[in-house]
Amino acid sequence: MLNFLSLLKNEQVKLYSRFSTWSMYIILASIIILAGMITAIFGDVDTEGYGNDWRAELQAENEQLQAEMEESEFAIHENSINKNNYYLEQDIKPQPYDAWAFTSEFSMLGFMLSLFMVIIASGLIAGEFRWGTIKLLFIRPISRTKIWLSKYITIMITTLSMFVFMFLFAMILGSLLFGINGLSPSMVQLSGNEWEQVNIVKEILSQYGLILVELVIMATLAFMISSLFRNSAMAIGLTIFLMFAGASVVIYLSEYDWAKFILFANIDLQPYFGPGQPMIEGMTLTFSVIVLLTYYVVFLLASWFAFTKRDVAGH
Amino acid sequence: MQPAMELVNLYKSIGKKQIIKNLSFSIYPGEVFGFLGPNGAGKTTTIRMMVGLMKITSGDVKINGTSVKNDFKGAIQHVGAIVENPEMYPFMNGWKNLKHYARMMNGITDERIREVVSLVGLEKAMKEKVGKYSLGMRQRMGIAQALLHRPSVLILDEPTNGLDPAGIREIRQYIRRLAEQEQVAVIVSSHLLSEIELMCDRISIIKNGELVTVEEVQNSTEKDERVEVWLEVEPVDKAKAVIEKHHELEVVVHHDKLSMSVTKETIPEIVKGLVQDQVNVYEVTTKSSSLEDKFFDVIGENTIA
Repeated sequence: MLNFLSLLKNEQVKLYSRFSTWSMYIILASIIILAGMITAIFGDVDTEGYGNDWRAELQAENEQLQAEMEESEFAIHENSINKNNYYLEQDIKPQPYDAWAFTSEFSMLGFMLSLFMVIIASGLIAGEFRWGTIKLLFIRPISRTKIWLSKYITIMITTLSMFVFMFLFAMILGSLLFGINGLSPSMVQLSGNEWEQVNIVKEILSQYGLILVELVIMATLAFMISSLFRNSAMAIGLTIFLMFAGASVVIYLSEYDWAKFILFANIDLQPYFGPGQPMIEGMTLTFSVIVLLTYYVVFLLASWFAFTKRDVAGH
Repeated sequence: MQPAMELVNLYKSIGKKQIIKNLSFSIYPGEVFGFLGPNGAGKTTTIRMMVGLMKITSGDVKINGTSVKNDFKGAIQHVGAIVENPEMYPFMNGWKNLKHYARMMNGITDERIREVVSLVGLEKAMKEKVGKYSLGMRQRMGIAQALLHRPSVLILDEPTNGLDPAGIREIRQYIRRLAEQEQVAVIVSSHLLSEIELMCDRISIIKNGELVTVEEVQNSTEKDERVEVWLEVEPVDKAKAVIEKHHELEVVVHHDKLSMSVTKETIPEIVKGLVQDQVNVYEVTTKSSSLEDKFFDVIGENTIA
C-alpha cells in the first residue's frame, strides 16, 4: 500500500513538474475571469434584487415587455414573461443573480475539461514511451498492473482537482463580483415545457455530474488508445476526432437499430434529466448506463492488457 | 560459488524469426563481464529479457538463483540496469529524477541518494534540469539510478556510447571499483572491443543471436605462454641465421620482417643476440591477443552490414 501511494506521488510530481499542466488551470481561470468581467460590465443581470413590493414590480416589467413585443416583431420576450408569471403564480420572490447562479453557468466548460483530460490521459503512458523512461519504470520490483493503476487513478485525481478548482474559483470570483445569497439558494428554470423552482446547489452538482460521466469515458478511451499505440498524438487526435464526429455518425446511422449501441449515442445523459430527446427513440437511462459501463470496462481491460502484457521493444 | 546471474538455454522468437538461439552463460559476483557483438547481434534483446522488458520464449534467466520468469519481483530487486540510452525525465531536475526512482523501491534514504550522486560526481548538477545535461552526465545519471538500491547485479548497455576518452576512463574506474570493492557482478555490453577490453574479466562474443565464445581477458601475458613476435630488422637473412643459431625456433621471413612464436622471456635474449651480431633492429611487436582475432573473425564477415 505504501508502495502504491509512492507511485501516485510520483505521477503527481511528474504531472505538476510540467508547465502544460499548470497552463490548463491558467486557461480555466482566465475563461472564468473573462466571463465574470463580461457579465459584470455588460451583462443585464440583476444583482440588486426586487424590493418588498416585488409583485407590482414584476407586473410592471411584464407590461413593459408586452409593449415592446407589440412595437417590434424582433423583440421576443415570451420566455421572460412566462418566467415572471410563474413567480407570481407560485408566489416566489425572485432572487438576484449571485455567485451560485454564476457558477452554474460553467457547466458549459465541460467540453474544455474533457479536452484537457484527454490530453493528460494520452500523455501519461505515451510520454513514458516517448522519453524512454518506461524501461526504467518496468525494471523495478513493482508489478506492471500497479504502475498502470497508479496512472489511471492519477487521471481521476486530476479530473476531480480540476473540477474542484473550477467550482471554487467561480464561487470566489462570483461572490466578489455579485455577492452570495445564503447557502441553499434556488432558481426558476425551464424543465421540459414547464417552469419549475430548483435548488441551485443540487442543479450544479447534477450538471457537473453529467459532464463527469462523459469526461471519464473520453479520458478512459484516450488512455486505452495511448496504451495500445504508445503514441500521444495518436491518442489525442483519435479521441478528439471521435468526440466531434461521434454524434454525427450516430445521426447518420440512426435508421439502423444497432446504432443505439454506439458509444456516442449514449454518452450524453442530459436528455434523461432535462429538456431534449435521446438520440434514438426508445432508449432509456438504464439502457444507456449499461452500454456506457460495458464500453468503460472494455476500454479498461484493453488498456490494462496492452500495458502489462506486451514486450517493450526498441524504437 | 552461486552465479549472480545465469542464462539457461535462452531463446527469443518474434514471429517465426529466431532472434536469440540457445544462449547460456553465468556471471559471478565481483566479476566484470563483457557482452560483445556487432550491431544487431541481439545484445539489447538479451538484456531486455534479463530485466523482464521482453518475455522469454524459452529457457530462463536466474538472478542469485531466482528466476526472472517465475518470480520477477524477487529477481529484479537485485538488479540495477541501463537499457539502451540512460533516459530520464527531461523536465525535472537531477534530484527529482533520482527521488522518483528511489520512491519505487523500499528503504532508499536521501542520504543514500547523496552518496550515489557523489560517487558519480554529479553533486553540482542536481538542481539543473536533466534536459540540459550532456550525454556524459546522462550516462552518469543512468549509473546513479541503477546503483540506488545497492544491486548485486549491474547491467550496463553500451555505457561508453557517446563518451569522450576521459569519460570512458572514468566509467571504467567506477565499474572496476564496484566489482572489486562491493562484489557487484557487472555486465557491460558493447560493439567495440577496444572500449571494454580494459575493464572486463571475461568477454563473451555473440553473433546473430548465438554465443560464439566466452574468453578470459588477460591483461598481462603469462611468462611461459607463447606469443607471436614480429621483428623489423636489417639485414633480414643475417638476422634469421643469428636467431636460428641461438634458439631452436621456426623463423618466417615476410619481406623485411621476421615472425616467430616464442615465450615472453626469450624476447630480450633474441634482441640481445641480434644487437651483438651487428644486426639493426627497428621494431619489435607482439601480435595482439587471441581475443581480438576471434572478434575480428566474427565481425569481419559483416563489416559492411
